[in-house]
Amino acid sequence: MDNLNKLWLSTGLANFELGQVIMMLVGCGLLYLAIARKFEPLLLLPMGFGAVLTNIPMAGFSEAGGFLSYVYHGGIETGIFPLIIFMGVGAMTDFGALIANPKTLLLGAAAQTGIFVTLFGAIALNAVPGIEFTLKDASAIAIIGGADGPTAIFLATKLAPELLGAIAVAAYSYMALVPIIQPPIMRALTTLEERKIEMAQLRPVTKIEKVIFPLGVLLMTIFFLPAATPLVGMFCLGNLMRESGVVDRLSSTAQNELINITTILLGLGVGSKLSAEAFLNVETLGILALGAIAFSIGTASGVLMAKVMNKFSKVPINPLIGAAGVSAVPMAARVANKVGLEANPHNFLLMHAMGPNVAGVLGSAVAAGILLALVG
Amino acid sequence: MNSMAEQFLEAGTLMVTGMVVVFAFLSLLILFITTVLAKLAVKFPDTIAPSTNRSNKKHNKAASGEISPAIVAAISGSINRYRQKHSQQNSKK
Repeated sequence: MDNLNKLWLSTGLANFELGQVIMMLVGCGLLYLAIARKFEPLLLLPMGFGAVLTNIPMAGFSEAGGFLSYVYHGGIETGIFPLIIFMGVGAMTDFGALIANPKTLLLGAAAQTGIFVTLFGAIALNAVPGIEFTLKDASAIAIIGGADGPTAIFLATKLAPELLGAIAVAAYSYMALVPIIQPPIMRALTTLEERKIEMAQLRPVTKIEKVIFPLGVLLMTIFFLPAATPLVGMFCLGNLMRESGVVDRLSSTAQNELINITTILLGLGVGSKLSAEAFLNVETLGILALGAIAFSIGTASGVLMAKVMNKFSKVPINPLIGAAGVSAVPMAARVANKVGLEANPHNFLLMHAMGPNVAGVLGSAVAAGILLALVG
Repeated sequence: MNSMAEQFLEAGTLMVTGMVVVFAFLSLLILFITTVLAKLAVKFPDTIAPSTNRSNKKHNKAASGEISPAIVAAISGSINRYRQKHSQQNSKK
């Protein structure tokens, strides 16, 4: 009888706590979004599964010595995984559209307004009982507005590791929801005539420009914002590997095998932070709400900036491409293209929107560097 | 309440500083692209790929000893077609 009792006590059924069950359901919810709705499946699937694993009673996945604790401490706490992903993203990014139309960098800058305005929102939420965000917490939450997963995770691990799970879930969920969140804002802030604007064809960009560009960006970051060099540096390394054309094998590894392996581990590691005590609280609701606000303000700021630029520019600029200033590459650019096509079936904005889109990646990395330098 | 006002002030300062630095940094990048990169592009234009006419002539000069790429492509295509046909026949069996 004693042995039977011991066996019962070692089962999951005897040890389940309500919080764990709820978090497993949250994990299953993420799996559903990834598999059935195809929302950022590359990250939400391992993240959802990580959430399930970490909440298994008696298994100790996230306790000291557990597999997920090693993954978290080794790859996420150290900042290694987000940086490797950033290198892979750099290797996948073509800056041609940006170099051909450098003014679009201003759209990438404008879209970062979402990040900094959300800081206010996070501080204002302190008025709600049960919520107490410090400026570091607020900064880590605000970066969700940059719509850049690796940047959000990198900053959250540095400034507010206890909020990492909620911030990562919010960041990736909203990135997946770009096609739903952005179009209504874009339509509300532009007229049909503006959405119909066709843009001039981009000039061809030479190889030397593409090779020197990442080096120039790195040099500027070293001079003016060294706090952003981990992110920008790895991004530029990946991009240089791509554009130099002499290390195709490394470039291919960075944008395929390496980024894939890292994505699996990053997802599992972030999922391991989805424990009941860290996730099931009012602060998580606040973070989810603030993320949506940050994202919407970023989109709106980009569109408004593009409208202003269109007023003063000699060549026409379709304001829709401003929405691509939030990074979310290439989803935001595709959304701009789609909304443009709805207004004018002959208007292909994809390449034009890629400029602000990659500018947004740089912009959010710079914003993260500023927050690290001033708050970290 | 006082500390919240202080936090708001801090957040405000951070917002203004952050936006100014983001715009300044990316504006410098615009300057870099329009000056340095533009000059480099003029000085080191991409080498122009050989025209198709020239390559056609080369194809015709197969007698010079090298096997023309067109002939290689034709032979490879024939071998592939033969293999596909052969494998289909085998699979039917």
